[in-house]
Amino acid sequence: MISPAIQAKVKNGERISRSEGIRLLRDAELLDLAEMANLVRFRHNPCPRVTFVVDTNPNYTNICENDCTFCAFYRRRGDKDAYSATVSEMIINFQAAAAKGVTTILLQGGVNAELPFDYFLEMVKKTIAEVPAVHPHFYSAPEIMGMSRLSGLSIHEVLQQLWDAGLRTLPGGGAEVLSDRVKKKISPRKGSTADWLAVMREAHRIGFKSTATMMYGHLEREQDILAHLESIRNLQDEYGGFTAFVPWSFKPDNSPLGKIIPQRATPTRYLRIIALARIFLDNFPHIQSSWFSEGKKIGQLALYFGADDFGGTLLEENVHAAANYLNQTNVNECITMIHAAGFDAAERNTCYEIRKVFLKTNPYRQS
Amino acid sequence: MTDINFRDDGLVPLWNKVQGGERLTLQDGLTLFGTNDIISLGKMAATVQQRMSGDAVYFALNQKIEPSNICVLSCRFCNFAMKADQPAAYDMSLDEILGLIKPEIREVHITGSLNPQRPWNYYLEMIRQIKEHYPQTDVKAFTAVELDFFRKKFKLPLQEILAQLKAAGLDTLPGGGAEVFSERIRQELYPRKIGAKTWLDIHKAAHRFGIRSNATLLYGHIETYEERLEHLIQLRAAQDETGGFLAFIPLAFQPGTTGIKAPHEFTSAIDDLKTIAISRLMLDNFPHIKAYWVMLTEDVAAAALNFGADDLEGTVGGEKIAHDAGATSPMSLAKERLINIIRDAGKIAVERDGLYRPLEVHGEGIVGKIPYLNSVPFYNYFEKGRFKLLPAAPRYLGMLSARGRIIAAPFSLMDYLAQEDKLELMDYCIASYEQVRSIMFFSRFPWSELQGKNIGIIDDTATSVHLLRVLLEKKYGVQANLTRMAGGNQDYRNFDAVLLIGDEALRANKTGLPGFTAVFDLAVEWFDWQKMPFVFAVWAVQKSLPLGMKKELSTALRKALAREEKEHPSLLSTLHGRRIGLTQAETAAYLGGITFRLGEAEKAAIKVFRKLALPVPDKRDNSLKSKGKK
Repeated sequence: MISPAIQAKVKNGERISRSEGIRLLRDAELLDLAEMANLVRFRHNPCPRVTFVVDTNPNYTNICENDCTFCAFYRRRGDKDAYSATVSEMIINFQAAAAKGVTTILLQGGVNAELPFDYFLEMVKKTIAEVPAVHPHFYSAPEIMGMSRLSGLSIHEVLQQLWDAGLRTLPGGGAEVLSDRVKKKISPRKGSTADWLAVMREAHRIGFKSTATMMYGHLEREQDILAHLESIRNLQDEYGGFTAFVPWSFKPDNSPLGKIIPQRATPTRYLRIIALARIFLDNFPHIQSSWFSEGKKIGQLALYFGADDFGGTLLEENVHAAANYLNQTNVNECITMIHAAGFDAAERNTCYEIRKVFLKTNPYRQS
Repeated sequence: MTDINFRDDGLVPLWNKVQGGERLTLQDGLTLFGTNDIISLGKMAATVQQRMSGDAVYFALNQKIEPSNICVLSCRFCNFAMKADQPAAYDMSLDEILGLIKPEIREVHITGSLNPQRPWNYYLEMIRQIKEHYPQTDVKAFTAVELDFFRKKFKLPLQEILAQLKAAGLDTLPGGGAEVFSERIRQELYPRKIGAKTWLDIHKAAHRFGIRSNATLLYGHIETYEERLEHLIQLRAAQDETGGFLAFIPLAFQPGTTGIKAPHEFTSAIDDLKTIAISRLMLDNFPHIKAYWVMLTEDVAAAALNFGADDLEGTVGGEKIAHDAGATSPMSLAKERLINIIRDAGKIAVERDGLYRPLEVHGEGIVGKIPYLNSVPFYNYFEKGRFKLLPAAPRYLGMLSARGRIIAAPFSLMDYLAQEDKLELMDYCIASYEQVRSIMFFSRFPWSELQGKNIGIIDDTATSVHLLRVLLEKKYGVQANLTRMAGGNQDYRNFDAVLLIGDEALRANKTGLPGFTAVFDLAVEWFDWQKMPFVFAVWAVQKSLPLGMKKELSTALRKALAREEKEHPSLLSTLHGRRIGLTQAETAAYLGGITFRLGEAEKAAIKVFRKLALPVPDKRDNSLKSKGKK
């Protein structure tokens, strides 16, 4: 049961506390939570419309020094399938993606000591110069920390030089759960909660926009989730630089952590977290449903639990496969799924500006 | 759950109808399909779900067996069927079939093709041998389509088919082969398969024979919403006639390479959940709605548990028909995964047998709920708080309490007496000073002539059986043979007398049982003899429960009862009474005759009964012969 006091707060648009958030996450019945989240969703985004972005998600290297226990992607230097792409190779990849209609390149990679800071600056500059049709959405906070550490430049200097090179948005990855108790266990070398927040704060202060993510479903407890949400809510109060919150569940396969946590979190957990986030993050404009990472059907359901954005048309972990997979079918299927869920679809850019609206002709197909 | 804040006001009149126990029409169903207010629709269905099944979500450790894919039919939506000369055709021997079953399996689910190659005896042997090698397994086998095929191929009347299968050990029928009860669609997609009338006739015949069954709907292909709803309405009418359906299972169409839809065009999650919720609302007389994860995906099935579904099927193991048509779900789910999904949905995970009896439960703070009219005053206005409600016949509540699985319940008096060391009495009971009408003894003979006669008893509660025995032996001085009857068995021909309890007794009391001319209310028999009330059940709580929880439960019961008594009879009680054929006045009179508070007179009566019922330790097991069911 949701206490009438919390209900009233949400109804009146008042902020709920961390402990109230814990109670909602733990005790509220699923559909009560959904109902409240829906109320807040339409308060923030009154249109019965769901946005998506045509994007691709290549990786410039899989070599990484952080050894996070949840990661099945990274390799050590010298591993047979370790790779590191040059800027020119990446540009060719981006051009191929742009030719297929991609508007956003979400670029991330491992923390690879062999890549100098110039590599990252050049990647931004060349993308802007040579692939003008795409928006570079590059480098998560742990990568920024890596650049700072390896170059000897401060976080501010790294970010300022990237800004000057033309970068305007950052992906919100690498946060995992912003609880040092948890981070010590799953990503001890990726920086602390304060480090992640410091990068984001500095970025937002300079003028960058970013998303905020959370990876749950491993060692975290409810209070850790709420601590995470409160940290990003507080930071958002300072600069308003977050565009959207994007939670996803830990996928146990092929990672050391998966041996301890063999089961993926349940679908219900995902819906609860989406709904709670929508209610709790009263200063976030958007909540993203990750249909590529969580599944198409749960992605559709999340649209009734507070999410108003369907994420990217393509999340690709492998740089070489990326271009091959992208075709018009993905975009159409994405629109079809949004329509079938009962919403108009709209293609947006990285900054959530609408590019094109696809009105649902018949919300519930009927022969 | 909180009240519903409708985003779509068009649903409000329908919600009023549902709350008032009024049936929804086809037009109402179309309004529900047309809404975008999925969450409110879900809450409507979840409220009905809570009323029907409390917080229980059932699953079975089950094994799907598809003995062959060689089929004389060629249904357009099927990617499974083969002709005998195709390389992928298969036809399992009995040994292969037995080899699929693991010892922990509690239900096998056998459906297959219409295979022209096998003799009748193959099917009977299949069931016999499964029962022989795995006696703990219930057998759910053969859709109406297969049964129709058997009767034609083996030139046997349906009655004979059913009788032989039942004798071989068949427990229930699966619900497949119904597809959509629309002749238009049948002509287009499966012209050679049986139509609606034959399907329904076969199920109704099975129900009358004491074989319960499920029902399905294959949706998400070329059918219209009207056709889905007409299908539901026909099922509802059939259930009114026989009451034999256990679960309704909407099956999401898997496009595969059938050519009916593109291979990636699965139903949307929203359509799936709407169909689940609308089924729960339309089928007001179906006990269970199943979220069949094989076709819905694990994700939608998990969400469905809050949209009206109270059954997650089971571990399944080795399903092929849906997977041949492109289903993306895994072939089986581990028990631990099912339990996690159910518990995360806020429900009690209940391992069931073929008839939905609880074998094991997983969850905390579970309070038992006797699903009879005489208990509804405790539950209609029960504020759950930290508790979860598990509906089960008294006997099962006793068994689960003995294993420490539930924290409190209205226990059958005998179960309480057997567990006095770990249970603490609460201030509530179900007792009667005179007529109770729900523990009824229907006999062909007067009491004095029952010596050596054969008496059938419903095995739902131990107390009424002990009361009957005390009356027979101590009041009338006769010894009779008591034989357990399977639940839901309505075939009383072989008995000289039968003991019925709960709603079953109330119903039979109203209609009478042909041939059983002497009818006795055991509460009256007791009262005339002892001049004391008879206590059928007592509320008791685990002694080890923290005091705070005990108080919370006690308060919840006190408030619920007070509100119920103020409204006497409450709307929900009246609706429950109506389901078993009682008018509002009859429900009021029946509930008015029950004492719900455990006072001194009731406590004294318990003592007297204990002395009479328990002088010789557990003599009942010597004379209780189990018939048919375990």
